[in-house]
Amino acid sequence: MTRAMAASRFDATLDALPAIRDLVRNGATAAGLDPATVYHLVLAVDEFATNIVLHGYAENGLTGPIDVSVGQHDDVVRVVIEDDAVPFDPSARPLPDDADLHKPLQERSVGGLGILLAFEGVHEHSYSRTGDRNRNEFRVSRAAPSQTGAAGRHALR
Amino acid sequence: MSLEIASAVTGSTATITLVGELDAASAPAFREAIEKATTGAPNRLVLELGGLSFMASAGLRVLIFAKQKLGTGVSLYVVAPQAPVLDTLEKTGFVQSVYVVASAPT
Repeated sequence: MTRAMAASRFDATLDALPAIRDLVRNGATAAGLDPATVYHLVLAVDEFATNIVLHGYAENGLTGPIDVSVGQHDDVVRVVIEDDAVPFDPSARPLPDDADLHKPLQERSVGGLGILLAFEGVHEHSYSRTGDRNRNEFRVSRAAPSQTGAAGRHALR
Repeated sequence: MSLEIASAVTGSTATITLVGELDAASAPAFREAIEKATTGAPNRLVLELGGLSFMASAGLRVLIFAKQKLGTGVSLYVVAPQAPVLDTLEKTGFVQSVYVVASAPT
């Protein structure tokens, strides 16, 4: 059975992040995900939305909407994030590798941590550009454990 | 939920208490609180995180900033993080650079 749990349009600003998280948290909880899986999904969406606001829109002098929806099909909960910014695939950004993650903080660079965290928390991610829209989709399964971290490894190039 | 920040300096220990959600919108205020609380060159920075229910990577970047600003002579304590926040610190290797403790050091 397919159900739409929640959907809303937000202005693409950092101030919209708490409301975006609330939408995903409420929708994913209503879909029956356990609290740890909900947290990971909320974190993933927050990190992607932050990237879209900062790197998709603001860096290019643009403003516009972020559309977020939560839906459920059988045991799979799906969150779709769409925006009208420049073509931008957050998953294509360089990620820290194991060596980076073992460096003391004094020697760390700050890039890529958010996307790394996003991929640790969801089971599948896909990106597509259709017309003038970016579309990021996260999928988590109610049946699978929350910490597989499988998505990023496959999405990475 | 927004972020509430409280700061206190006692002797050579600066303590910052965070309650709520730490994201890219609230991280600059956290960073400012660290800058203010550490002007007296403390040798310990204690972060009370028991009331922090969400932390995005923007929070991690503030921790990197703190560590790089304060140098290796200043110990960074993370007190009573909730499980998902601790999970984030572990996945990113930050637990190797901070002391994660159940209650504030005395």
